[in-house]
Amino acid sequence: MSLKPRSLLTRRSLLAAAPLAALPLTAQAKPRFAPIAEEDLLVAFGHTSPINDGGWSQMHDKAIRALKAHFPKMRSLYVESVPYSADATRLFRQFVAEGAQMVISTSNYGDFIKDVADQAPDVGFLECDGNAVTSNLAWYYITHWYASYVIGIAAARLSRTGRLGYVASFPTSSVIASANATLLGARSVNPEATMRVISINSWFDPQAAASAGAALIDSGCDFLCGIMDDPGYLRVAEERNVWAAMWNTDMRQFGPKAYVSSVVLDFEAYYRETIAARIAGTWRPKGTFLTLGHGVDRDSWGARVPLAIQREADAARDRMLAGWSPFVGPIKDSNCQIRVPAGQTMTDMEIFHWSWQVEGVSGLV
Amino acid sequence: MSRRIRLSVVPARRIFIGRALALGFVFLVLALVLMLLGLNLGTVATLVVTSTFGTEFGLENLALYMTPLLMTGAAVWLALRAGLWNIGAEGQFLAGATAASAVGLFLPFPAFVTLPLAAMAGMIAGACWSAVPAAGRAWLGVSEIITTLLLNFIASYLVYYLVTGPWADRVTGAQVSSERIHAAIPTIYGVVHWGGPLALAVVTALGLLLGRSRFGYELTLSGSNPEAAHYAGVSVAPRLFMALVFSGALAGLGGMMEALGTVHRLQGGLAHGYGYLGIVVALLARQSALALIPAAFLMAVILNMGIVLQTLQVSASSVLAITGLLVFAIAVSDELAAYVRLETQK
Repeated sequence: MSLKPRSLLTRRSLLAAAPLAALPLTAQAKPRFAPIAEEDLLVAFGHTSPINDGGWSQMHDKAIRALKAHFPKMRSLYVESVPYSADATRLFRQFVAEGAQMVISTSNYGDFIKDVADQAPDVGFLECDGNAVTSNLAWYYITHWYASYVIGIAAARLSRTGRLGYVASFPTSSVIASANATLLGARSVNPEATMRVISINSWFDPQAAASAGAALIDSGCDFLCGIMDDPGYLRVAEERNVWAAMWNTDMRQFGPKAYVSSVVLDFEAYYRETIAARIAGTWRPKGTFLTLGHGVDRDSWGARVPLAIQREADAARDRMLAGWSPFVGPIKDSNCQIRVPAGQTMTDMEIFHWSWQVEGVSGLV
Repeated sequence: MSRRIRLSVVPARRIFIGRALALGFVFLVLALVLMLLGLNLGTVATLVVTSTFGTEFGLENLALYMTPLLMTGAAVWLALRAGLWNIGAEGQFLAGATAASAVGLFLPFPAFVTLPLAAMAGMIAGACWSAVPAAGRAWLGVSEIITTLLLNFIASYLVYYLVTGPWADRVTGAQVSSERIHAAIPTIYGVVHWGGPLALAVVTALGLLLGRSRFGYELTLSGSNPEAAHYAGVSVAPRLFMALVFSGALAGLGGMMEALGTVHRLQGGLAHGYGYLGIVVALLARQSALALIPAAFLMAVILNMGIVLQTLQVSASSVLAITGLLVFAIAVSDELAAYVRLETQK
């Protein structure tokens, strides 16, 4: 396997190159991602959980399997349960060592993927939920906050107490955006609505999610939502007779009475376009948002959600599809400080990097 | 007539043959499992060998795996010389990594000051983490196996608390991680850093010191026969205490190398089981400190094999199973190697 000789990257050559860094990237070198024959293309996927997790990784894997129909000669490989540790770096390096021209991580791996991308400049890297764009590393993500907002409207109408419970994984920006958007949606119809959050330090821990759900119900919440790969807290909601909204996929079979909706994902079209662009030699690193209706949406409503509530929430969804954003100031944080001034609309990038909880949310950051 | 007796000192050749057979047995079982999984053995073997030994990335991976394994292996080995089981290298490794990261994250010095300070901090933190079990064992007779083991969980949760709470990265949104530590151990080649050669030097120095010094002799004596040591005028308790504390310092230094050389952040999954794998490395090395080097190399190859196997959808936990089987087979083979048949005449 031939890799770039490392001896070229000495401190001296880097220092010498420093003035060049100011030049636009396009001026620098030969086209890096030249066209490639479909049968020569090896694409490697790294998943954060097992591909049959019933949630996030399963939705990615479903989209990847659908690629077979469009690119029958393309070779691919994948690894499940890539840990968030130095072993992730090793797995991504192994992908390169096995000859992959394109490495796609279906979750955030931060430095663990960026360090490898820097060492393998001729391989294209794509990181879901990533935040860096370099000459060979790109990111993509879904603007799930619009779907969460729609579900939030239904949540406020369904909840009797106006107290929502949120089962979170880690207090990272995508989770903050999800929780905030849900409560902002809820507050658009019930300004008194509040949300209590419990973080369980995992995306996939059915036991912990169920305990967190039960604790939230005990503290007076009658609508559970969250960002879990498994239906753990949906089962609790079903038993305890409260409502629940889920993430990733349709999970109604695990709690048909409690099920309200879900933030559902579909990466198929995006992966197809990406691979086609890589084959054609037109793939370039950039950040991509998959928008409402094009990769992310609310699931069809649960059987017990009244039609009037469905219509009310869907009216907001229709307006969003037509270009309206509900994330307009004034928006206050949980210390009642105005963080988004009146009249100002948050950009998707700002929402993607949300680092504070909105007024009414407690326990997240 | 013949009968079997157990040798108290086993010739190295017998051990070596026994272990070769054990290793062969483990690889045979592995081959069988892979065949049952429907994998082509030739393909798997080629992929493992070419991507581990035939690529720069593979060789660098081996070096990066060996570094922490040498340090935790040395830690467990040192305690074993005194007859103590340090099951807590994992926690001491994390304590060392935490202290070293604190130095790297919060002290505004240039790297040439930060790195030695971080190494000191790592060793002191590792030593402190093992000092409580060490004192308990030396003066109160509390089993160090339990206390060192349980402190691992405390260390792990402490790291999780820090990296999701006060030290959490707010710059890039990296999960369960601190911010990137800017002081990094300089690299030699690719991503391989000077922690590797330093770990080799530590292991070599350990062999020389313990083999030739009065302290080393007293340590071994205290471990193998405390009563005899006592009558020989050695105060046993301080020796046991020192053995465990030094052991913790070695593991802590390993944690510093991992945090500032390989991962560049304090991070939830940082210890990665190296503390426990250090037990395997120390068991493989037996009495010789220098034997820690091939032992760590073998573990590194097995761990890297796990990385390769994962791209063929063999689960990462299978590697743990292989490691467990290896320890088991070697323990059995070492024991069997001690038995000889003695021909007796009537």
